[in-house]
Amino acid sequence: MRKVYITGIGLVTSIGNDVPTVSQSLRELRHGFEVYAPFQKADVPVKVIGTIKGYDADSYDCEDWTYPSRFSVKRDILRGMAPHGLYTYCAMLDAIADAKLAGGDVSNDDTGLYAASGGSPHLLGHYLHRMNTMGVMRCSPLGIVASIAGTVNFNLVAQFKIKGASTGFASACASSSHAIGFAYDEIALNRQKRMFVVGAEDGNVESILPFAGMRALSLQVNPDLASRPFDLGRDGFVGTGGAAVVVLESEEEVERRGAKVYCEVTGWGQASDGYNVAISHPDGEGLRTAMENALRRASLDPEAVDYVNAHATSTPIGDVSEARALKAVFHNGATRPAVSSTKALTGHGLSLAGAMETAFCAIALQEGFMPGSAHITRLDPACEGLNIIRATLTQPPHVVLNNSSGFGGANVCIVLRQA
Amino acid sequence: MVQAVESSSEQNRALPSQAKPFSPEDDAYLREALKRCSASTYEAAFQFRKTKNTEHLPAIVLGIIERYVEPDLRAKLKDPDDDLRLIEDLGIDSLTMMEIVILVEEVLQMSINNEELRHLRTLGDVKQFIECKVRGLPLPKPTKFLPIEQIMSIMPIQPPFLFLNEASVSSQGASARYKISGQEFFLQGHFKDNPVMPASIMLEAIGQLAVLFLLEGGAGEPSKVVNPQTIFFTSCEGVRCHRMCKPGEVLSLSIKPKRLKAPLATFEGGIRVGQEKAAIAEEITLTFGYAEEVAVEPARPAAVNGEPTPLAAVVNA
Repeated sequence: MRKVYITGIGLVTSIGNDVPTVSQSLRELRHGFEVYAPFQKADVPVKVIGTIKGYDADSYDCEDWTYPSRFSVKRDILRGMAPHGLYTYCAMLDAIADAKLAGGDVSNDDTGLYAASGGSPHLLGHYLHRMNTMGVMRCSPLGIVASIAGTVNFNLVAQFKIKGASTGFASACASSSHAIGFAYDEIALNRQKRMFVVGAEDGNVESILPFAGMRALSLQVNPDLASRPFDLGRDGFVGTGGAAVVVLESEEEVERRGAKVYCEVTGWGQASDGYNVAISHPDGEGLRTAMENALRRASLDPEAVDYVNAHATSTPIGDVSEARALKAVFHNGATRPAVSSTKALTGHGLSLAGAMETAFCAIALQEGFMPGSAHITRLDPACEGLNIIRATLTQPPHVVLNNSSGFGGANVCIVLRQA
Repeated sequence: MVQAVESSSEQNRALPSQAKPFSPEDDAYLREALKRCSASTYEAAFQFRKTKNTEHLPAIVLGIIERYVEPDLRAKLKDPDDDLRLIEDLGIDSLTMMEIVILVEEVLQMSINNEELRHLRTLGDVKQFIECKVRGLPLPKPTKFLPIEQIMSIMPIQPPFLFLNEASVSSQGASARYKISGQEFFLQGHFKDNPVMPASIMLEAIGQLAVLFLLEGGAGEPSKVVNPQTIFFTSCEGVRCHRMCKPGEVLSLSIKPKRLKAPLATFEGGIRVGQEKAAIAEEITLTFGYAEEVAVEPARPAAVNGEPTPLAAVVNA
């Protein structure tokens, strides 16, 4: 099996749109939450999201969108995109620049792209409304590719002339971790030399508010208190959108290009709860098996793990499930590994979460720190017995796990190691 | 002059004269729909919706097309030329064409079906099409695009004396392109160490396009077929050359029939290089005869005509 490395990162997140800013937010535990104007209505009990700064893509009309001036995106590119398509396009450009890839490195038979997003309920709703009120033939010709799940891979593969493997993943909040896992396999099994992995979400009214119906969202009005994984007072997740692009490359490509490396991806594992369509297994059975599978694949003992970036979204049930899974895998859990949820800072990015948090772990491994778990004032007793770090630790981790869990009880664990 | 496409003519209806009046809500909607078009586009649309006066149509259609053309190509629409090609000259791809169609439909309150759009290649085609739709006239016979292979199979004139690389023929006229390759045999001597396209050959090229029009577009009598062996040059008047044309340049040729009555067909014609006028012929007259047997061309399905237009590509996808 060939070794696989992370060599480039592009981010559009609630805590920053470039690696230095995101790194600083992670170290200093600066969150990205704001009271979100479209939620400020009497009949909307949810008030806060992790906002994307520097972009405004709330309009149905892509020509109204604004984005940082260092990018220039033509109308014929934008018209096939959802709001998160714009985020991915910019994050992709940043990731390519970060990895110092030349044009020929991006577009060739050995370079592929895997992506994950929940599609754009925002645009889909708009286009369906148009169809129902104005007639079938008045649908935008690019309405479908801009709005359905898969929109990210459709657009990026076409715009960046990707020639290798490409597809999308749909396991909700585990999607972009699945994408990283299977992209790792493509390279490890010698099928591709390089893979772009993209996770993204709109993070707007239509992609977040439907979770209110299942009582999964925090109703906190104070942005400083809304997302607090593992805290006794947590009352649901805070939604966010954005995009994360991670560049994976084979060791041969890293050597050939003399590429800068964030970290090695040493393996991954997955397992399913087989339990409930929307609720995680109370003991975190699937997640526990996913972590065990991942460690076995990476030929590592649980004792080798320094830091776990937990899936913990700040929901009452989910965080406890994960805490139980962690305790089952790590018998000395009270001391090792350090555990935190960076969703306390970013909010829950749904399909974006896995790729975004893998990027965070890669930054932490390269720069040598472990981000703390913010906003815990009273630790939930059900989460005791784990080394949940409340402040950022400055000692460098060597082995890091990133957990993700999605609807239907899909669980993925990615193993990363200092390069 | 306008020949009907049988399948479409019956579905085509004029806008109802008793349509409900143009309300403030309609106006607000119109303003929103045209917010990225020029003020004059909105004004023309407003007038059209109030009065149904079709004089406003060209401004509306041109304004909507302009809105979808990339800013760096919009200069070409400043002095709009009906021969401007949607794809090659204006960079409008098939999806952009659909966007244009949808906005035109919304603004003019009409519906256009896919089949009708297959043959719209130039700005002139689009304007004429919209005009016919709105006025409930039969749709014009679609412009037919002819690549070199088809031109060679039709024409009595052959290389090395054929000066058309590609052509479009409609009931209104024909246009064509010819790139001066520099390999033309006569350029060796015309002139010594200074190859210039002879003016007589430029006139010949205009004449060849007129021949193609007669053979492909007919001479005004649908039941009769022009015999290629019978077409010859008769006369020309008002020929003027405005610039020299040299190897590497692309001649844009166009002709329009002025009078068609066997045995004579008179055309006006011109040649441009880019936006510059290169030559004009006020009148060029050919003589022609019909084939003895009366052969009625069977109606062909629309899709077999030449290479598919971008819309056809979408429709067929």
